[in-house]
Order: sequence, then C-alpha cells, then structure tokens
Amino acid sequence: MTLFLQSLVNGIIAGSIYSLFAVGLTLIYGVFNFINFAHGELIMLGAYFFYLFINPPFSFIIPFALILSLFFTSIAGLMINRFVYQPLKNSSHLTLLISTLGLSIFLRNFAQFIWGAQIRDYHFELKRGFLIGGISITTIQIVIILTSIIIIFLLYFLFSHTIIGKSMRAMSDSQVLSRIVGLNVKKITIYVWITASSLAAIGGILLGADTNLQPGMGLINLIKAFAATLLGGVGNIWGALWGGFIIGVAENLGIWVISPGYKDGIAFAIILVMLLFRAKTIFLKS
Amino acid sequence: MDFILHILIMISIYSIFAMSLNLELGYTGLYNFGHIAFFGIGAYSSAILSKAGFGFFPPLIIGMGLSIIASFIIGIPALRLRGDYFGIATLGFGEIMRLFFLNEAWLTRGPMGIPGILPPSFFGIIINTLPRFLILNLIFMILIWLFLYILIKSPFGRVLKAIREDEAAALSLGKNVYLFRLKSLMIGSAIAAIAGSLWAHYISYISPNEFTLTETIIVLLMVVLGGEGTLSGPIIGALTIIGFQEILRFFNLPPSLSRYIYPLREMVFGLTLVLLMIYKPQGIVGRRKDA
Repeated sequence: MTLFLQSLVNGIIAGSIYSLFAVGLTLIYGVFNFINFAHGELIMLGAYFFYLFINPPFSFIIPFALILSLFFTSIAGLMINRFVYQPLKNSSHLTLLISTLGLSIFLRNFAQFIWGAQIRDYHFELKRGFLIGGISITTIQIVIILTSIIIIFLLYFLFSHTIIGKSMRAMSDSQVLSRIVGLNVKKITIYVWITASSLAAIGGILLGADTNLQPGMGLINLIKAFAATLLGGVGNIWGALWGGFIIGVAENLGIWVISPGYKDGIAFAIILVMLLFRAKTIFLKS
Repeated sequence: MDFILHILIMISIYSIFAMSLNLELGYTGLYNFGHIAFFGIGAYSSAILSKAGFGFFPPLIIGMGLSIIASFIIGIPALRLRGDYFGIATLGFGEIMRLFFLNEAWLTRGPMGIPGILPPSFFGIIINTLPRFLILNLIFMILIWLFLYILIKSPFGRVLKAIREDEAAALSLGKNVYLFRLKSLMIGSAIAAIAGSLWAHYISYISPNEFTLTETIIVLLMVVLGGEGTLSGPIIGALTIIGFQEILRFFNLPPSLSRYIYPLREMVFGLTLVLLMIYKPQGIVGRRKDA
C-alpha cells in the first residue's frame, strides 16, 4: 500500500512538470496548428540558462536567475517563430514538422557545444528527503507541486480574466475570425510564444532541480507532453493539464505492471493508442 | 586507402538505407520517422542469427521477413492517419523498438550490445577484407537500385506517384490507396532491413544506442538533401552526408577539439534540414514535374 501511494505521489510530481510542458505545446498546437518538435529544446534551454546564471561568473540570486532564464528562453521561442514558423506557416504540416525536427537537432547540439554532453545538476541542498506517513518526498518536490499549483491559478487568471488570454483562446478557435473582429494577431502570436516558452523553461528548471540536466533531456519530455496533449484534446489547455498528470501517474504505476525499463515507452504507447483509435479527446472540448 | 574504402562502404550501406526511405517518402509521400526500427530489426536479426551459426543469407532473409511483419503490424493502423500523425505514430514505434532492443537482454544483450558479429560468408567465400565488403555492398546497392528502378517505372510505381501527387484522384480511379501505401511501407522496410544487416556485419558490434531518432533524421536529411522522389537523390545525399561525417574522423581530432567539432557537425545537419525546407525543398537533384 505504501509502495502504491509512493508511486502515486511520484506520478503526481512528475505529472505536474509534464503538465507545464503540455500546456505550452498545446497552446502552440492550438493557435498555429502545427506540432512544434523543438518545444522539448525550449525545456532544455530553460534548464541550461538557469544553470548558466546561478553559477560563476554570474552567480545571480535564484529569483533573478529565474527571470533571466524565462526571458532568454522566450527569446529563443520568438526566434523559432521568426525564422522557422513564419517563413513556413503556409507550407504543409509535414514541412513544418521536418523543419522543427531539424531545429530540435540544431538546438540540442548547440547546448552540447556550449555545455558538453556530461550530466550536470544545480547542486541544490534541497534534495534531502523526509518521510510523511511512510512516503518519502524531497523539498524540491514540494516546491514543484507548489509551483505548479500557483501556475495553474495564474493560467486560469490569464485565460479567463485578461484580454490577452482571451485573445489567445480566440485565435486558437479561429485565426481568420480573430482577424475579422480586429484582434492584433501579430501581437498575440508573440504572447503565445512567450507563454509557451516560459512554461517550458519553468518546467525545465524544476525538472533539472529534481533530476539533472543533459542536452538530450528535451526530446523525451516533448514526447510526454505530446502524449498529454493528445489525451487532453489538441488545443485544449485544461485537457493538457490533466493529460500531464495522467501520463505522470500512468508511468509511475505502469512500471509495476511492465518492467521499469519501459517507463519511457508508456508515453509512446499512449500516443499510439490515442492516434490509432482516433479519439479526438477524452475530456470536454471547449 | 583503407580509409577511402571505409567511406565508400558506409556510403553504399547508407545509400541502400536512404533509397528504402525514399521509396516511402519520395515516391509514396509517407513520412516514416521510425524508419531506423527496420534497419535495427535487420541488424539484430543478422547479429543474433549469424552468431548462432546460420550463415549470411538465412539471417538476412529472416530479418527482412520480420521487418515486413513489423511494418505490416504498425502500418495497418497507422496508415489511416493524416501525414504528420503518421510521422508521430511511426516515431513512437521506432522508440518502442529501441526500448525493446535495450530491455530484452535475454535476446539482444541489452545495453551491452552484441560484439564480434562474424563477417558474411556464403558458398565458401568469406567477406573479411574491406575490398570484399565494398564489392558485396556495391552488388546489393546496384541490385536494389535496379529493383527500385523497375518498380518505379512499373504500373505499381506510377500508382504510388499518383497517390503522392493527388490522393483523391487516385481514389477516384479506383485505386486502393491504403493497400498501395501498405505495400510501399513493407517493401521499404524490407530494404531497410538489408541495409541494417550489411551494416551489422561490417561494423561487427551493435548496441541499442545506434538506433535512435537522430539516425532516422540523418537518413531523412540524405533523402531530402539529395532530392526526394528521384532515383539518384538518396545516393547523392548519402555521399554528401557520410562524406562530411567521415572526413572529420580522418583528421583524428584530439578529444578536447572533437568535443566541439561533433556537436557542431550535428548543428550543421539540423540547420541544413531547416534551410532546405525553407529554400530548396526539392533537394540537389530536384524532381522534374513528370518524374
């Protein structure tokens, strides 16, 4: 029983990070109608920027390093928009998919070029665990859960109480109609990329703090985010959020049934099942 | 001299691999992002069975058979999907196959990989020197090229191209688009297994790390760079990419430098793919309107 609860808690912790990735991915997917394969590399860049700023020669305090990481990851996201998405937005889905695949390789190796292939971590003292009712949890994991709760509230506020958030949702429904009613599509496009990149960066930093950093960390997490996106229904922000938690829990409970070596395979299996059975969504489509 | 032979052998193997993807991608419009899985099935079949004493041809044929079965199993459901979702589904399949190679250690020795794969031997000939490997690979390459040439010029090939250009038109002419795509996928997978088998025998050591998405993307780059949907495109693509990849090895870079050079090389590959998509999607050879 304790083992079950432990797996459940681990799943929720992993899931809260996947949710952050999935919301960003589904936002881009919903608004621009393409799968940004380089989204995983935004996760990775966020984590590495934070690593850069908390270590010498910068050694900034954590809040400042966090803001800088979000800023530079957003710049990276906006550059993807400017140099890859915009020139290709009228091409086929496949052209966009292949070019973001190329971009993903480019960015991953860019990180390897600068920081090397070795595994790095933040050396936080927060990894010490303590027991609550037989379940072990670390300080950083509590931080992860609290952060994602705060972000869920911020997202709720953004999407239902601000003009920017409502405009993003409108664009997600129909770009043409948004243009007709006079929304500034160019401006909102920029906000969408900033939101998605920031969520990727925050998730990446939390993931880096909980586990470690390596240039290839983006790809596998992109796959999980993509599985969550499909579970929640493409473009459905709250669906993606739930999808992330489900993937996290399914992975950590799934290793009981299948061997732990296939943990990463569970997200792929979910993607295959979701695609093959053409289930558009298992949650309410807004 | 040995170095040049090595490059030529690698080019011939990757040409076969790229030609197989080109049949699916260039001629049928199927973007298979899990193509490396079929290369891997061929490589593992040859490695395991030839070490068990089954010679060269039987493992090759079994590898092709397994590859066809695997492509059938994934193709039946995945071919119903739209192009980009087909890509994602096959990508998932490719990664699951990699996890299979990694985890089923009783069969594949898991992360340790399979060392000491024997050189091909058949009818009393042992392919154990570089020139012999090159001859063997070139024979395979030419035979496969001829096979694809005949296939593409045949009515079957014309239907594939029709599907690529206009699915609705092919459907309206009463062609079973789904079945043609499935056949194309199965043939492509069988050829990929041949490439994998030749590669395993040549390299003599395989491990799950060789069968990642990155490998698929590099072959994809060969096809797109050379010119998808052309007969010579994949060979020109393989020549360019392998040449570029292997020439760096020739200089015998010290680790302090190669740590920077290798990521830089991959950055060039990634960037090339993006730039090709934006500025020259037809590749080096380019496709005539009627090709």
